[in-house]
Amino acid sequence: MPSHNNSRRPYLPAFRRDWWLQLRFYQLYMLREATVLPLLFFISCLIYGLYSLSQGESQWLKWLDFMARPWVVALNVLTLAASLFHAKTFFELFPRVMPLAPPSLMIAVQWLATVVVAGGFVVLLGAWV
Amino acid sequence: MTSRNIGIMRYNPEQDKKPHTESYQVEADDNTSVLDALQQVQQQDPSLSFRWSCRMAICGSCGVMVNSVPKLGCQTFLRDYPDSLVISPLSNFAVEKDLIVDMEPFLEHLSAIKPWLINSEQSTVPHVQTPQQLARYQQFANCINCGLCYSACPQFGLNPEFRGPAALALAHRYNLDSRDLGKAERMPQLNAKDGVWTCTFVGFCSEVCPKKVDPAAAINQGKVESAKDMILSVFKSSGVR
Repeated sequence: MPSHNNSRRPYLPAFRRDWWLQLRFYQLYMLREATVLPLLFFISCLIYGLYSLSQGESQWLKWLDFMARPWVVALNVLTLAASLFHAKTFFELFPRVMPLAPPSLMIAVQWLATVVVAGGFVVLLGAWV
Repeated sequence: MTSRNIGIMRYNPEQDKKPHTESYQVEADDNTSVLDALQQVQQQDPSLSFRWSCRMAICGSCGVMVNSVPKLGCQTFLRDYPDSLVISPLSNFAVEKDLIVDMEPFLEHLSAIKPWLINSEQSTVPHVQTPQQLARYQQFANCINCGLCYSACPQFGLNPEFRGPAALALAHRYNLDSRDLGKAERMPQLNAKDGVWTCTFVGFCSEVCPKKVDPAAAINQGKVESAKDMILSVFKSSGVR
């Protein structure tokens, strides 16, 4: 029996690997996801620091010297900026996933919590040093 | 009325190997929508194929890409694109002819999540619902099945097996409905490999939604439900009640 669909020839374009370059919205999404890359560097620094601490004073001083190098400081400043950007996107998305209160209030409370916790660490660190 | 140029992606499966853009002249003023422009072009060339019905953003038929962004043709105006305007078929779907795509994959995902009230209760008494109970799901009930969110979703583009924004948003909508008892039947679809966890919250689905359904929020609320479902199933299978 002849098919009524003989002339059907659906065309499905291949999904482009550079899809995320096509729109600004996608670029910002990829930037959000990419904030993990400088964070990986920072975590490596911390693990290296813990290792150095276990190896005694000379290794510890070597680590302090490493952390003070301009390119390391620059990368860690980049990490801080990336993490703050990620926090901004996260704090804005969170009220949509768990609508517990008006979104603007939830965003404000999350930033307040960030400031309090970060401030607490600075005070503790200051007291310890 | 001024004359202006627009580009339209054309594809004739009986003649063309792949789609190509053709340009047309249309008469436009501030009130001319993309759908109006398509109808003008159809007067010049009756072979142009596209879907439309209500002209008022209710039927969800006239979805097209306008400069690479999914839009309803009836709700998008030429005045907002003074420089250039290219109309192409919805992304991530196979093109049948010109601006007509095969929506079948979306419809299969939609029916898989059982988007209807599941309630075997045989009663002549109306299911009474408070305004608070209505408010829980109302936003997600505004979906018109236009499919724009599927064209906006790179995860659906990468993996067509992904249930996708509209289907998962409607699953959440019925799960939140106080009259519905079908959550247990829908959760396996949400929990599955191609369910809610495939979403990475790109969020463009919610940007393009003409009804402000916010499917990205619905899917990610679905992740919370899926996680709760998993924890509960661990307790149930270990015999804790």
